Amino acid sequence: MTKFLAPACLLSMTFLGGPLPASAQETDSQVRVVVTEGVRARVAVADIQQRGSDPELDRHTRLFDDVLWNDLRRAGVFELVPKTFYPLQLPSQPYEVNYEEWTAEDVKAQNLVYGNSYMQRGQFVVEARLIDVNTRESIIGNRYRVDPDEEGVRSLAHRLADEIVLRIGGGVRGVASTRIAFVSDRNGHKEIFTMDYDGYGQKALTNHRSISLTPRWSLDNSRIAYTSYHRGNPDLYFRTVYDQRLIPFSHRGGLTTTPAFAPDGERIAFSSSKSRDPEIYVSDLRGRDLRRLTRARGVDISPVWNPKSGRQIAFVSGRSGSPQIWIMDEDGSNLRRLINEGGEAVSPSWSPDGVHLAFSWRRRLTGRFDIYLLDVVSGRFTQLTRDGNNNEHPVWSPDSRHIAYESNRFGSRQVFIMLADGTQKEQLTRQGRNTSPAWSNYFQQ
Amino acid sequence: MKNRKFLNVAALCLFALLIAISGGCKKKVPVAPPEEPPPPAPPPKPTATLSASPTTIQKGKSSTLTWSTTNATNVSINQGIGDVSTSGSRSVSPSSSTTYTLTAKGEGGSITASARVTVTAPPAPPPKPKKREPTIEEMFTKKVKDIYFDYDKSEIRDDARATLAAASEFLKKYPQVSFTIEGHCDERGSGEYNLGLGDRRANSALSHLTSMGISSSRVKTISYGKERPQCTESNESCWQKNRRAHFVLSR
Repeated sequence: MTKFLAPACLLSMTFLGGPLPASAQETDSQVRVVVTEGVRARVAVADIQQRGSDPELDRHTRLFDDVLWNDLRRAGVFELVPKTFYPLQLPSQPYEVNYEEWTAEDVKAQNLVYGNSYMQRGQFVVEARLIDVNTRESIIGNRYRVDPDEEGVRSLAHRLADEIVLRIGGGVRGVASTRIAFVSDRNGHKEIFTMDYDGYGQKALTNHRSISLTPRWSLDNSRIAYTSYHRGNPDLYFRTVYDQRLIPFSHRGGLTTTPAFAPDGERIAFSSSKSRDPEIYVSDLRGRDLRRLTRARGVDISPVWNPKSGRQIAFVSGRSGSPQIWIMDEDGSNLRRLINEGGEAVSPSWSPDGVHLAFSWRRRLTGRFDIYLLDVVSGRFTQLTRDGNNNEHPVWSPDSRHIAYESNRFGSRQVFIMLADGTQKEQLTRQGRNTSPAWSNYFQQ
Repeated sequence: MKNRKFLNVAALCLFALLIAISGGCKKKVPVAPPEEPPPPAPPPKPTATLSASPTTIQKGKSSTLTWSTTNATNVSINQGIGDVSTSGSRSVSPSSSTTYTLTAKGEGGSITASARVTVTAPPAPPPKPKKREPTIEEMFTKKVKDIYFDYDKSEIRDDARATLAAASEFLKKYPQVSFTIEGHCDERGSGEYNLGLGDRRANSALSHLTSMGISSSRVKTISYGKERPQCTESNESCWQKNRRAHFVLSR
């Protein structure tokens, strides 16, 4: 795990001088929101110009360009100007920018990303800038340096992408630096794995050689809670992400699963069958101060907190017959069924902005599962997948713009991501069967 | 006439010749008296052979007696065999070592011949599958069988009631047996919901057993959801096999 952290620790970022404010963290008032609802900024992303002819520099710079482009494309909030339309001479420094060329009819960029790269004291350095081509204002001017390995270069491009999305993509930080946990049987047993949000760097977090399921990230991403059978009984454990320590949560007998960290960071909801029927409980992170929230015959499982209010829990219940999504207050009161149509509705995931509930729904018993969004206030549904096979277990990215899910549309179950409008579906896993994605929260910058 | 004369002359000559010959002997023997007719040759004595092949048999196996005789008119073998033909063979299977004696009688007398068949004990009987008691494991597997559920249900079906009744009978007879009930589901639906459903199935089976007098202290329940299917095809026949409670003897 130290390998994963290393680039982040070694990566240092300095803001370049000039027209940029020197403050390290911009406040909202200084963020230039170019994108308005439904309008995508037209952004040109010029290849980073290399200062030097080191083949290593060339390799890192090409990878950086590639990762950055894909991050900005995947972000779904920009209209990227194809590189073939760019001027022949790409700028490396502010004085090299020919604004007329970038605003010309066939380019018409509103924003331009450019910069230069070099090797310095064994590190790969990128000076990157984002400008508003029309007002000629500089929006980002950062110098990034990192140990020159693939993970380092990627993390560096992700950081720039997230910053660009934050500044001109609607005021919400991008998710290129986030990670996704999932369950994979590629090594013969179901283990918890993690990967970058784009599928790079897939590695096992557990090696129980048993059955491990239902991973969830803690609020600060320092732990992943999951259920494992490696001691015989399906119990809940925490695994610290950085040093992979194993912390048992509870051994109360019966099934303990589907953990959900509360937005206050101090409590956890989960399902336990210690009463011989799976019910929803809430406790502190050590399992103390236990409170039972449901008391109904039938499965109660898969709780999720309303991340905005922190006072409501949606969950799956079989009390009315087939599994359906219900909602209650954090003390178990105000219980009601959220979706009043038939079929089977499971796997709720509340968008971090609190607006939508994503879930998988099989509207008829003979049908397949597809992913739907419920607008919690209006009660309206939107169907996001319809490829004729099962699409299940949606989970939101921390920017409320992406959804990871599992699908067997191409045969075996694999983890996909898509934009929350159902476009830009992308398969992230290919080896073995991969299920139950869990999207991390933002990592500390 | 002439022939008669000749005969008389010949007889005289033969007589004279006889005298002359006898006069030539060293000793003068009296003329032998007329002899009696010789006694008829005595009838030949019978002969007989008797052999057994093999001469040693295991108890229960047989040996073949083979005999031949000459000059016999009546042949018999003892040991309950009785009269037999003058030569032949037959199979015998004595239960203990036996000497067979053949008696051949004929005009020339009688003669006997013997053969012994040695009977050995049969080899140690092949370790015939000892009629051992079935182990607890075997009985458990035979008596405590899987029960099956309807889709998305944990209620005990009628067919499962009979299965559980048989199981409880066994479990009452062997109160020392403790066991685990595993709850399983088919592949459809969310993995998480199925974990819960499998748990309910295991507990549903448990509660039915306790209602028949089986103490729940002997039983552990565990849900495997849809994680351990025993059949992996995507059709109802396979799904039904996976919607089950499975019983495992604790060790």
